[in-house]
Amino acid sequence: MTPPALRALLADSLTLWGIAGRVEIADAGIRIITGDQVLHVTQAAPAEAPMRWWLISKVRRRPAASILGLLRSLRYALNATGAEPARARVAAPS
Amino acid sequence: MIPVSVITGFLGSGKTTLLRAVLRDPAYAGSAVIVNEWGDIGLDHELLETSEENLLGLANGCLCCVTRGDLAHTLIDLAARRKSGAVTYHRVLIETSGLADPVPILHTLLMDPAISEAHRVEAVVTVVDAVLGAETLARHPEATQQAMLADRLLLSKTDIAPDTSALEARLAALNPGAPILRAVQGAIPPDVLFASAAKPSVLQHWLEAITTPGARHSAGVETISILREAPLPAVVLPLFLEALAEHAGEKLLRMKGIIRVAEVPEKPAVLHGVRHVLHPIEWLEDWPSADRRSRLVLIGQGIPQWWPARLLEALEEEARG
Repeated sequence: MTPPALRALLADSLTLWGIAGRVEIADAGIRIITGDQVLHVTQAAPAEAPMRWWLISKVRRRPAASILGLLRSLRYALNATGAEPARARVAAPS
Repeated sequence: MIPVSVITGFLGSGKTTLLRAVLRDPAYAGSAVIVNEWGDIGLDHELLETSEENLLGLANGCLCCVTRGDLAHTLIDLAARRKSGAVTYHRVLIETSGLADPVPILHTLLMDPAISEAHRVEAVVTVVDAVLGAETLARHPEATQQAMLADRLLLSKTDIAPDTSALEARLAALNPGAPILRAVQGAIPPDVLFASAAKPSVLQHWLEAITTPGARHSAGVETISILREAPLPAVVLPLFLEALAEHAGEKLLRMKGIIRVAEVPEKPAVLHGVRHVLHPIEWLEDWPSADRRSRLVLIGQGIPQWWPARLLEALEEEARG
């Protein structure tokens, strides 16, 4: 995933969650700046497979095996409203 | 499976008139009818000419909130009586109150296992008054919600409406996939109204409305369309739906799609969803037309225009490794 594509997805995600902030392409990935936090997203090294992403804050590094996991971690890290996930509920087959 | 259709529409739009006309059709005369009226005195059910045992009134509250549990119990009870031979019917028609939000009703129909094991949701038909519809849509969010969730929109009273073009444009913006039909005094073949939304011919009509990827905006409601040439890896579908539900479920009013899956490109997958409740993926035997692109429409409020497409691309890229 190219840095501009990732930046665009994360910026849209912030909007979706109602978080005011900036998403920038940085030297080592993507930098997310909100009111009181600065987070970094970097791609994991091939040797770190199956991890694909790292979400890095001042206090910890969270791995994510997929873009889905990365979005979930980011949403929790930002304490976005409604971070309690509304999982898909699949109706019984007809 | 017993087909269930929902007739909704704002107060005075002509739901009961439509239902009366439908019940005069021999193929629908034996339907079980559930009428929800809001108020202490129910009148609508008095106007319907159908057998007593097949007509059930749910009064004293709106179906989408107060009497939702009653709907479940009524359907389960009806099905049990049908099984025992006490009543005979081949389909269920539910007329909501004029202020009902169809989402909780569909939620009940789809998610309650005791209902969904014996019933199949076929269509949501929203009746819109051709004379007052535009004003009603502008003033009452319930009416907008009813229009957005329809599989079919039915303009009533078209004989006394001078010009419906503005109303039709508004309805098309709210729900581009739903065909807009017209009827005076409910005179329309019921099969046109209630054919299953997943039927290839019905699906094709819906797909033809989706021509431009991107988003249309109307009073805070966005219609986001995604069009893709390349087939999607099968694994992407559940991941995409999971992410939609998790991050946009509360903002997503309706989602429909036909997807070309890389592993079975000859059989399109049909997606339907209301909020974070998703119908099981249906697989059609064949494509409804020569157009074999994946097409997905999301109707929601506050979903960034390109977020779903960007998410889909990201998931696809990961799936392809």
